[in-house]
Amino acid sequence: MERTDGVLRMLKINYASSQDDVQAFSWKPVLKIFTFLNEEEANAMAHDTRAILQYMVIGKDNPNSVLNIVTLARENGRSVQDHITKEMWQCLNDFYHGVRQEALADWLQKEDPVTILDMLIKYGVLYFGTTDITMARGEGNSFINIGKYLERAIQSADILDVKFSDVNYDLGETKDTTYWKYLLLSISGYELYLKTYRGGFEARNVMEQVVLNDQFPRSVIYSINRLHRYFERVKNERNTPDFNQIDFMIGKLKSSIKFTTPDSIIEDGLHLFLNETKNSLYTIADTLNQNYFALI
Amino acid sequence: MQTSELLQSYLVDANTWDEMHGDHAVREQYKNAVEFMQQLSVEELNKKEELAKRLFMSQGVTFTVYSSGEGIEKIFPFDIIPRIITAAEWGFIEKGIKQRLRALNLFLKDIYSSQFIIKDGVMPAEMIYSCPHYLREMHNFPVPYDIYIHISGIDLIRNNDGSFYILEDNLRTPSGVSYMLENREITKRIFPDLLPQNNVRSVTEYPTILHRNLVSLSPRQNKNPTIVLLTPGIYNSAYFEHTTLARLMGVQLVEGSDLVVDNHKVFMKTTSGLQLVDVIYRRVDDDFLDPLIFNADSRLGVAGIMSAYRKGNVAIVNAVGNGVADDKAIYTFVPAMIRYYLNEEPILKNVPTYQLGKDEEREHVFNNIHKMVIKKTNESGGYGMLMGSAATEEEITNYKAEVLQDPRQFIAQPIISLSSAPCYLDGKLQPRRIDLRPYALCGPGGIEIVPGGLTRVALREGSLIVNSSQGGGSKDTWVLAPPPPERGI
Repeated sequence: MERTDGVLRMLKINYASSQDDVQAFSWKPVLKIFTFLNEEEANAMAHDTRAILQYMVIGKDNPNSVLNIVTLARENGRSVQDHITKEMWQCLNDFYHGVRQEALADWLQKEDPVTILDMLIKYGVLYFGTTDITMARGEGNSFINIGKYLERAIQSADILDVKFSDVNYDLGETKDTTYWKYLLLSISGYELYLKTYRGGFEARNVMEQVVLNDQFPRSVIYSINRLHRYFERVKNERNTPDFNQIDFMIGKLKSSIKFTTPDSIIEDGLHLFLNETKNSLYTIADTLNQNYFALI
Repeated sequence: MQTSELLQSYLVDANTWDEMHGDHAVREQYKNAVEFMQQLSVEELNKKEELAKRLFMSQGVTFTVYSSGEGIEKIFPFDIIPRIITAAEWGFIEKGIKQRLRALNLFLKDIYSSQFIIKDGVMPAEMIYSCPHYLREMHNFPVPYDIYIHISGIDLIRNNDGSFYILEDNLRTPSGVSYMLENREITKRIFPDLLPQNNVRSVTEYPTILHRNLVSLSPRQNKNPTIVLLTPGIYNSAYFEHTTLARLMGVQLVEGSDLVVDNHKVFMKTTSGLQLVDVIYRRVDDDFLDPLIFNADSRLGVAGIMSAYRKGNVAIVNAVGNGVADDKAIYTFVPAMIRYYLNEEPILKNVPTYQLGKDEEREHVFNNIHKMVIKKTNESGGYGMLMGSAATEEEITNYKAEVLQDPRQFIAQPIISLSSAPCYLDGKLQPRRIDLRPYALCGPGGIEIVPGGLTRVALREGSLIVNSSQGGGSKDTWVLAPPPPERGI
């Protein structure tokens, strides 16, 4: 669900920016973050706004399309119906039927995309809000949040990685300001940025906010702090060794990021840093799956 | 089929420049957009109009009308058909406005210091001293970077041969820029993909440029100066604009009571104590700014703010006392100013203006009163004016008497027919009169004009008054990018 929200917001803002640009607008960064398309396929599609909307929202052969993610989430929800509240189940179901409706393809082709994306985003926030106020604060809730913040941390790192690869990780380079503006808008960090930094858009500040600002709900550090907090709640008598293993991994990642500065990241290379962070997150996710869900 | 229906009833008034229709055909710049509209049915267009209204409502772009104790939220009328300006036209406007602003800014600096323009006999001294907006408090005070006019919204109109005229200079606290930004957002929503197809230039840079200029004015050499936007409060009709700009720039929105002056420094009251303020973008008029110096009854301003300003401890935007330069009587002298200060010929023309303070000109105006519009020099927003063509004999007689009491306070201009542009009204395109207000920002780096502006439209048929307080609406304003050279035209 967290991923759907990310995808939809990204689409919305990139669409808005495609309307703003006099030059040809390219969707390639979005495709790189959220799809498994290879270079050629992405290039072929990069300039066709409507095709991208179709592919990203209702593309059946795109494993990360909103339709497929929501279908999976609903399947999961169905199998654990006894653990989630009835309201949550209904939200998931509504969302599922919302993206399934036949008219959607037609709307995405002809109508104002923002209206449609807004509608889908609303399904998502309704789900988040409903979860927050109806779900008992037990183990189930903790696992939902663990998943949510894992996904969010990975997403933020991914977005940064792709966006900065466009400027060859050169933090001194000043791309035109709209570039950073739309990046921030797509992760709802624009207003906070304006309030934190006064001197216009600088790549270094953008990086600092998205990685290290613990008041920014989409930052890497915030997501990992939360992840840790919710993980600590699943501690119980029986699984101490497993718990300790993962607790150690999260704690290690958390402090490694906590004791980083923008300067040290730049010195070691942003790409390397983001990659290491992502790898740690993936390892944590895998270990969680092994220990708690007996997958793999 | 709908094609003809949409355009059939489009009858341009004789003797009027129409933005869309010229020489019996649709002008080049409109072709693309008109073709697009023609593919839509009336139902679809109505739906788009409906959507636009709903979007304004949900964005809170509304003003409140109070009747019988209940507030009713209303939106300013928005017409969905954009007004289109070609790259060449824009280039001309841009050059003209920059020239005019350079001259006006030099005039303000001169008039508040050496007053060479009076000593050289270009402008009579009584013109200045009789102007209520001329503030002695500003005398011999060097404003930062010599910039008085940080933000301006100069009104332009087009007469029947298509040439641009300056209608008035708004150099104090020009409003409406949020409509330029919002209208564009709405167009993005109701006509998807139409903007990139037409190569329309973006206006979203405005808050960024303004913010950068405000930062550069800070008297402290500080990377993070405190900037505030001073609003008269939630009952001001432009309050929406103040909140929008504050949010887009990430600055604090304050009212007079949130600020306090101590030892010639301005502070903002915050939960963690007083915070020194470096730059104030004020949307409060001069008269209300400082009760110690100006209007003592004012609760909108801050006591002592002028002393902090004069000490150079805080920058105020726009500078205080600019009213003397956009006074309607001073307006007549702007072409002379351009020649005097810049030694250039004015690019944008003035509307011929008669000073009613001069006997022979007053006589001429009174003799031709049906062809004239008479305005008060210190009023704006379409208040206190007389349209000679529409007024009754009684109104004229009364107005004449009022003029004779203090002729200096009045000017007259021949009624210029504004250009018209298509509006979508009652399921058809109909021509309505429009003007144009581009917004220019001046910082230490020079003058920048965001490609676009506010097009105001007189929605009543035949009406020439575009002010929103008088039944006017607005349109999105497109400035087209120059065609890429290799493609040719």
